[in-house]
Amino acid sequence: MGIVDLGAPFTRRQALQAAAVGAMGAYGLSGCTVSRELDVPEGGVSVKPGIDGDLLIFNWAQYMDPALKKAFSERYDVEVNEINFDNLEAMVTKLRAGGRYDLIWPTPEYAYRLNKEGLLANFDRSDLKNADGISSFYDSGWWDPNSEISVPYAYYTTGICWREDEVSGMTGSWNDLTNPDGEGRMFILDDYQEAIGEANLINGWELNTPDPNELEISKETLLEQKEFARGISTNSTQNLVNGAASIHQAWNGDIVNVRNQVDNPEVFRYQTCKEGVPVGTDLMCIPATSRSPGTAMLFIDWMLDPENSAQNVMWNGYPQPYEGAREAFASLVEEEPSIDVDLNQLGEGGLEYRLDSPEDRALWTQIWTEVKAS
Amino acid sequence: MTARAQSFWARFLLPGGLWLFLLFAIPLALVLALSFGFTDDLGRAVYAFELDNYADAFDPLYLPVLLRSVGFALATVVLCLAIGYPVAYYIARYGGSKKHILIALLVIPFFVNYLVRTYAWVALLADEGLVNSALGSLNISETGLQLINTPYAVIGGLVYGYLVFMILPIYASLERMDPALIEAGKDLFGRPFQTFIHVTLPQTKQGILAGCVLVFLPAVGDFVSAQLLGGPDTYMVGNLIQDQFFTANNWPFGSALTVVMMIFLSFWMVGYLRSAAREARDPVAA
Repeated sequence: MGIVDLGAPFTRRQALQAAAVGAMGAYGLSGCTVSRELDVPEGGVSVKPGIDGDLLIFNWAQYMDPALKKAFSERYDVEVNEINFDNLEAMVTKLRAGGRYDLIWPTPEYAYRLNKEGLLANFDRSDLKNADGISSFYDSGWWDPNSEISVPYAYYTTGICWREDEVSGMTGSWNDLTNPDGEGRMFILDDYQEAIGEANLINGWELNTPDPNELEISKETLLEQKEFARGISTNSTQNLVNGAASIHQAWNGDIVNVRNQVDNPEVFRYQTCKEGVPVGTDLMCIPATSRSPGTAMLFIDWMLDPENSAQNVMWNGYPQPYEGAREAFASLVEEEPSIDVDLNQLGEGGLEYRLDSPEDRALWTQIWTEVKAS
Repeated sequence: MTARAQSFWARFLLPGGLWLFLLFAIPLALVLALSFGFTDDLGRAVYAFELDNYADAFDPLYLPVLLRSVGFALATVVLCLAIGYPVAYYIARYGGSKKHILIALLVIPFFVNYLVRTYAWVALLADEGLVNSALGSLNISETGLQLINTPYAVIGGLVYGYLVFMILPIYASLERMDPALIEAGKDLFGRPFQTFIHVTLPQTKQGILAGCVLVFLPAVGDFVSAQLLGGPDTYMVGNLIQDQFFTANNWPFGSALTVVMMIFLSFWMVGYLRSAAREARDPVAA
């Protein structure tokens, strides 16, 4: 006698009937997207600042000083509620399924796609009192040519963190990932763009190359690195703090956290690399389905305020490209200035990931799957 | 039972049946439908009727991933059996009045989320973690061992994660067994080991089989252990599927992989069910 009983036999005819019903269901759905049609006005939504209700913000966890939400709530007499996502795909899925949020934190690539779907509200940056403090790098980004759907929240560089007590002979190049001192204790970020990106830069290709032959060579580079590596992981903070890693491809903000958590912060060094410095951004955007877009705009302005943004940086440790926040971050990393983001870098050597063609995205993710699966 | 009574009692199936239909059968049908779909230019999954995802799912590229997952899961089953059987045996035969407390002690840790428990293992197995500092202070290993980011750590995490599913069915089958059978074996001059092999083991075969299936099926599809405890060469099917949904932005392909995986796993399940049914019909011959 087993744990599970067979019960009545399921006949072949019943199985066929069930399959037919399933297939009909699938046929009926044919052509529909998984998301439902949202009630978004033709011609888009245009927003002006002004209190029009309570706020529901949809953010990464631990990404904003709660004291700032509380102060905003008291200043304007509205509630500020926050819920969190742990990956962007989940956030976008909820938005597409009809979830109504007032403020979201996409990357440029996601913002670009959401805007194409008509899911983002337009606003005029000149309606924001503190917009002048935003780095000019964020005027007319490729994802937002008229600067009308987004303002930056935080930005970060990708580089290499290494332990000076275990590794010597770093050269300021992406090739340092395979510095012999780090053999068996090196980690690559588990992010298809960051991983393929550094391999592209090592091989001298454009960061975002769509060329299959070039990508094939970058795949070989990654397979060699994988032989040398201890892991493929985005938990760089944990891997560095618990001693697993001596070399880690990493985002600069995470190294601020590493240095805060260890007894010997001075040995955890960070470099950006001469072949190119990928720069990432998290944006603030107002969904077209927002219930309180006016309040959301006031909240954006509130976060851009120099004093508030400085306070926020000191709380979460991520650099933010506005007045006040930049100075605060520089003071936070004065002992390892390479962690700071050099704005000139953004103009010249700074590179951004941009795969807005679905074919390119598919090719890149396929290459990365092949690296991880082999 | 009269037909009338049968139809009366059948009504009690309705709430559970409805629940399963709404929250299990329909979502499963949607996964099946989506597996024939594609991703549009804006990264949205679209329902359609194409076989491309299935052609991709059988790409030889994924074979090592599947073999690795099955290998890890089989190792997990063997270890769970080796660890779980003696535990179940002790509790069932010698637990006495403390039986229920012992079972509760086994089950309570499993109320804690699997992800959280796996994070605890990260802390335990880290280079400067508890296990290595214990080894260091006992002078067993001065330099420390690399435990985390290895296939062994992944299998260890799986064993820890699913051990209780092995112990409970074996415990149940030992409980059901008549202890007089063991005495009879001894009366027939069986040494303890012979008695165990010829009497106890066959009597608990179905419990062992149930435990193996209950451990094997979730272990093959697991992604948490490989993600947190694994290294560059521990990528499992569960990780592959998870990546299609959360990073590759390819839900239709993720769905096709899920369907293929379910069909693959249902072969094992059907094999088990047939064996259980045979046992129920004819316990002696089985």
